[in-house]
Amino acid sequence: MILIFGGVYQGKLGYALERFGLTQSDVYYCSEDEAGIPKDKRIVCGFDRWILALIRADRDVLSAVDAFIKQSGDVIVICDDVSCGVVPVDPQLRQWREETGRAMALVSRESNEVIRLFCSIPTRVK
Amino acid sequence: MRVFISGGCKNGKSYHAQRLAKHSAGSGRPLYYIATMKPVDSEDDERIARHRADRRGWGFVTIEQPQNIEEILKKCDTVGSFLLDSLTALLSNEMFTAGGEISENAAEKISGGLRQVIEQIPRIVIVSDYIYSDAIKYDPLTEAYRKSLAGLDRLAAGRCEVVLEAAYTQIIAHKGGGVFDALP
Repeated sequence: MILIFGGVYQGKLGYALERFGLTQSDVYYCSEDEAGIPKDKRIVCGFDRWILALIRADRDVLSAVDAFIKQSGDVIVICDDVSCGVVPVDPQLRQWREETGRAMALVSRESNEVIRLFCSIPTRVK
Repeated sequence: MRVFISGGCKNGKSYHAQRLAKHSAGSGRPLYYIATMKPVDSEDDERIARHRADRRGWGFVTIEQPQNIEEILKKCDTVGSFLLDSLTALLSNEMFTAGGEISENAAEKISGGLRQVIEQIPRIVIVSDYIYSDAIKYDPLTEAYRKSLAGLDRLAAGRCEVVLEAAYTQIIAHKGGGVFDALP
């Protein structure tokens, strides 16, 4: 597993497509309304949105993420970094912020490689 | 040497940007500060006056350019060293007009000007703000602003030889960091 994270609009997906020679057909786009485990495509994009969907569906986030890790093979997870701003007033967004952090820690631990994108420039952090 | 520097607020971006621009000017070239803020009240006026006084000791000549950034090419000697602070303010000024209207092609317009500026000015430090890592679901307008700023950041970062991120006064070099290490 490979984790690619960074702020929004930093070029994460573009980097993954180019580096691994993949196309849009290899990408599963997570949705804030779909709590099912992301389909088995090479790239799972918008992992943070899936976390929000899990929270909205009142599911246990970490066990869902754990199940995802167990059933996914050689997957590239792309996640927006939502950890650095002001604590949100909205309790659901507050929970989202924290659960995304915990989920990212799990994925990061299981990944062979972790990359952060900043203005389209990758930095390998693991 | 063209430098792009971003990071969170109060992380030392402006201070490091001033050092880099000053260093680039060497002993003979003009040193320009491209001021982009458009004052809206007396608090802004005071802030600007304070910043201006701070910079005076550094030898900066201040050029007010809150819009139409390419016009600095006509106003200044392009052989000089420039500090452009910041893309964030430029985008606000072009996007949110005085009449309260939203200019949808602001980012495109600035991109055009910025490309010319970067191409024709070999010594420039460009400052922006990293506003991409929080857990807020923004309204479409704010989201469009973030997306537009990220586009400008990436354009500038792609064309600059040096890309830096300020982290609580420390510097993370994403590209060409040797230049920063060599500063006195």
